[in-house]
Amino acid sequence: MSVSTSQFAIFDSVTLTRGAFCVFRGLSLALSERRVALVGLNGSGKSSLLRMLNGLLLPDEGTVTVFGLDSRKDQRKLPRHVGMVFQNPDHQMIFPTVLEELAFAPRQMGATRGEAEAMARQTLAQHGCGDWAEQPVALLSEGQKQLVCLLAASISKPRLLLCDEPFSGLDLSLRLHFADHIAASPAHVVMVSHDLDMLSEFDRIIWLDKGSVVGDGRPEDILPDYRSFARARARKLTADSL
Amino acid sequence: MISSYLPGRTFLHRIGAGWKLLALLLVSMVLLPVDSPLVLAAVLACALGLLASLGSGAGTVLRSLKPVAFVVVFILALHGLFGTLEAGVIVALRLASLLLLATLITLTTRLDDMLDTLTPVLRPVALVGLSERRLALAIALAIRFTPMLVDVTRQLNEAYRARSGRNGHVKLVAPLCLHALNAADHIAEALAARGGVDGCPPESTDGEEDKVRR
Repeated sequence: MSVSTSQFAIFDSVTLTRGAFCVFRGLSLALSERRVALVGLNGSGKSSLLRMLNGLLLPDEGTVTVFGLDSRKDQRKLPRHVGMVFQNPDHQMIFPTVLEELAFAPRQMGATRGEAEAMARQTLAQHGCGDWAEQPVALLSEGQKQLVCLLAASISKPRLLLCDEPFSGLDLSLRLHFADHIAASPAHVVMVSHDLDMLSEFDRIIWLDKGSVVGDGRPEDILPDYRSFARARARKLTADSL
Repeated sequence: MISSYLPGRTFLHRIGAGWKLLALLLVSMVLLPVDSPLVLAAVLACALGLLASLGSGAGTVLRSLKPVAFVVVFILALHGLFGTLEAGVIVALRLASLLLLATLITLTTRLDDMLDTLTPVLRPVALVGLSERRLALAIALAIRFTPMLVDVTRQLNEAYRARSGRNGHVKLVAPLCLHALNAADHIAEALAARGGVDGCPPESTDGEEDKVRR
């Protein structure tokens, strides 16, 4: 596979099994666009694909290369370049207060506590929430929690931001707000989402089904087909196949 | 006692964690031999004065101390029944002052300030193979997840009541454990995504960043 400088992630003949279940078999894929979305039904492998981009999952066979780093050999180096926003903020926030949560990433990269906190306060101030610093994270609203998670994932200026259904717990106004936030990010974004309305501005949509890429292209080409596929599937579903 | 941090910029918040802990240590040592109820009452009055300096947060502190107050009253009653009431008053005043002071320090000191102050004291844990960083992270996680587990318990109880009309009590223990394990799985993944317990290895090979972190 030819490596062009614009490709930030390359999956080369990747096979991934989780337990007895084979998620991917010989998957090859190169990502270069700024905004990439993964769509597909539950269990199609979207989250697994996302988790191979930051080394949370390692391929059983083949290689995943992100910014020239082999996810197997350089697993611990990847978080420096790849940030991740999870579906549920309560599962992502590690620290009791907002300031500590934001300061964690810079400290992981080797900043002193003073530097890390100054960075955290500056980021909060830039986003109009300077007075949240000392707040316990448990007392934030859902939208505020998701903003803290997004800021905590992007504070160390990752070159790639992974988002695993970041909108699922949010109301429509919050979804639109965070879509703007993510659109403004200077990083590459790879997002898993079931909210197709949020994906129309993306550069590339990858449609996964049972671990294979069944559609790959511009949103206007892929999303209508995916929508009708899902609708057809919905009609055929029985309680057993749910 | 895991009580959360009370945000604010009062007098007590501004004093360094080290000074506060040192002062508590000194006050505890000085108070132990004192058995004059008047002196002890004066100390308690000072502690209450400090509590008042928190302003609107003072009420929250008092409420959080309710269970502790029962213990103090219980000890007072025991002394009254089996010893002298005067001894009970002395013990109760001493205990109440120290507990109130300790709580005030916990509430007005950010967790990482506290950990940074305690790190030299915690250093011996390195001898048994635990890094200070890991211990600090464990304490942070405990404090972070206590309110979450309380919340999960409430939700489980709601689900139970919705179908039975009664509180779940001991029947909630097993599902609560499953929820806790599930949350632990998720947070482990989030921690790994952010570079893990030991942080990201430095990009440069000269090891300068390495020194800063460890």
